[in-house]
Amino acid sequence: MPDLAATVTIQLFNGLVVGMIYALIGIGLTLILGLLDIPNFAHGALYALGAYLLLQLLGLTGSFWLGLLIAPVVVFILSMLLERLLIRPLYPVGSNYVLLFTFAVSVIVQELIILVWGPVGFSVLPPSILAGSVELGLFSYPRYHIFVMLVSVAVILALWLLLERTRYGAIMRAGIENKTMVSALGIDVYRLFTLGFGLGAYLAALAGVLMAPIRGLMPYMGVDILPFAFVVVALGGLGNIIGAIAAGLIIGVTQSLTTQFWPQGSTITIFAVMAAILLIRPQGLFGAR
Amino acid sequence: MVRLRPRLGPLTPWVLLGVALLVLPDLMRTTVATEVWIFAILALAFNLLLGYTGLLSFGQATFFGAGAYTAGLLLIHQRVHPLVALAAAALAGGLVAAVVGYLCIRRVGLYFIMLTFAFNLMAYFIVYQASSITGGVDGLPGVPRPPVNLYFVAWDIRPGVAYYLFVSLIFFLSALVLKRVVDSPLGLVFQAIRENEARAAALGYNTWAFKRLAFVSSGAFSGLAGALYGMLFGIVPIDTIYWVTSGNIVFMTLIGGTGSFFGPIIGAIFFIWLAETVSVRWERWPLIFGLVFVFVIFFFRGGFVEVWRRLRAVLPKSGRGVWPDYGPSKD
Repeated sequence: MPDLAATVTIQLFNGLVVGMIYALIGIGLTLILGLLDIPNFAHGALYALGAYLLLQLLGLTGSFWLGLLIAPVVVFILSMLLERLLIRPLYPVGSNYVLLFTFAVSVIVQELIILVWGPVGFSVLPPSILAGSVELGLFSYPRYHIFVMLVSVAVILALWLLLERTRYGAIMRAGIENKTMVSALGIDVYRLFTLGFGLGAYLAALAGVLMAPIRGLMPYMGVDILPFAFVVVALGGLGNIIGAIAAGLIIGVTQSLTTQFWPQGSTITIFAVMAAILLIRPQGLFGAR
Repeated sequence: MVRLRPRLGPLTPWVLLGVALLVLPDLMRTTVATEVWIFAILALAFNLLLGYTGLLSFGQATFFGAGAYTAGLLLIHQRVHPLVALAAAALAGGLVAAVVGYLCIRRVGLYFIMLTFAFNLMAYFIVYQASSITGGVDGLPGVPRPPVNLYFVAWDIRPGVAYYLFVSLIFFLSALVLKRVVDSPLGLVFQAIRENEARAAALGYNTWAFKRLAFVSSGAFSGLAGALYGMLFGIVPIDTIYWVTSGNIVFMTLIGGTGSFFGPIIGAIFFIWLAETVSVRWERWPLIFGLVFVFVIFFFRGGFVEVWRRLRAVLPKSGRGVWPDYGPSKD
């Protein structure tokens, strides 16, 4: 049955594309988790904010490319301010309070999105160059999806180079491993936290921008994506980029294949996969601890 | 030497609680007052985890919802006795907590929090998808409130005031049981785990088993609260199992004060009052909720209990010496 083969292949591709976006969100979350020791409950809200800023910039300038470049940068700056001004005073109080603060921020951002842009959803079109499909022999595939795949791979590669090949990256990895030691070596760990939070938020916002033409915009999109981000991190292991990519792809592909054959069960299957992996490997796929 | 000093006895909070149970329906609508005590059960059950065992579960709505739907379905389709519905709901909450706890307690700290949250969403999606059974987003309507038949009397709990008394009674009993648990040697093991899990383990306690026990107990009481909630409104809204409810439970417990057994009850009263007052005026009331939450995190961390303690430190001493938390007794 060539039709079935084509359908499965298309769904597999869709899964990989969405999986890369999950990986971007997950890497951001795992960076923040590793550095600041908090599961950032505002991560979904930052993802949604990225998408809505794209919408705003599209309305203002008409250019998707400007939105793609600027929206994540705005979120990057805003979240660094947030960390510096409001989260930092809470570090001595304990990580539970930082966590609850990010929860409150997520509620506030979501409500502000509804106040500013309204409770109704929007759809965003990809730029005209990326509209339409490419013939891939057996089937044709949307150009924009391929673009998302390439951008995600490029961003993750750049991030990997930053973390593995630069001095800043080495400090950041050291910060995830042992903050006291980094601090003892005369490095300002708080500046590291601010940067790490900003970088994580940037990735979330970028994921939101990339996802906007695929799934459209809804005020609750941040809430809806948050469990996926958490699952990616729980499966991938703390501060582990490779783990986050693997977990993101597994979840993306599982979701998109089950959507094809058993639409009601797609979300449940993902959590079942998560439960199964946790039963076999409680430390996550690649986690050492 | 026995000192005869007038002091707040261990019964004082219970007396105050009794007064609050009697006075509250005069201060707000009966339905809202009933809701307060249902959420007070939830907050107490959650504080068994956060305040006593040191487990921040961000998925308490899972067990609340499990209880609400179980009791709702049994009452609608089987017309069971309300007490049977309550027992079944507690059982359902406990069972779901056993499964979720088994998986989540394998990971500690932050992962534990994230996983309880993820399972909460999983439960939500299951209820959302199984709309032929649960009613999906529209909720499960038509939950009856049959009379409580005991051998020779039938207590009609359909009138609002009667149901308020019924809920108050269940709440009071739950609070007594939970207080008994936290003051027992078992409760001390929970607190030992909160203070230093490694040391508790070194003393020979199977900390995983104790954490699971706390988790399951908390789930059972949350399930019980769920049943009461469904019977209160005659419907089980999907919100009962939504993650925001989990956040609300954390919030009300925190604002009441996790450092005391009774603090979360004050938090529940305040939260339901705030929600009822603001939500009728402005649809975007969660924004206010978020801002109040931030305020609490920055300026009000000890909750109402802490305010009470500070007041007592400032006010003339009523016979009692130095507050024990601030240092060893000067006796």
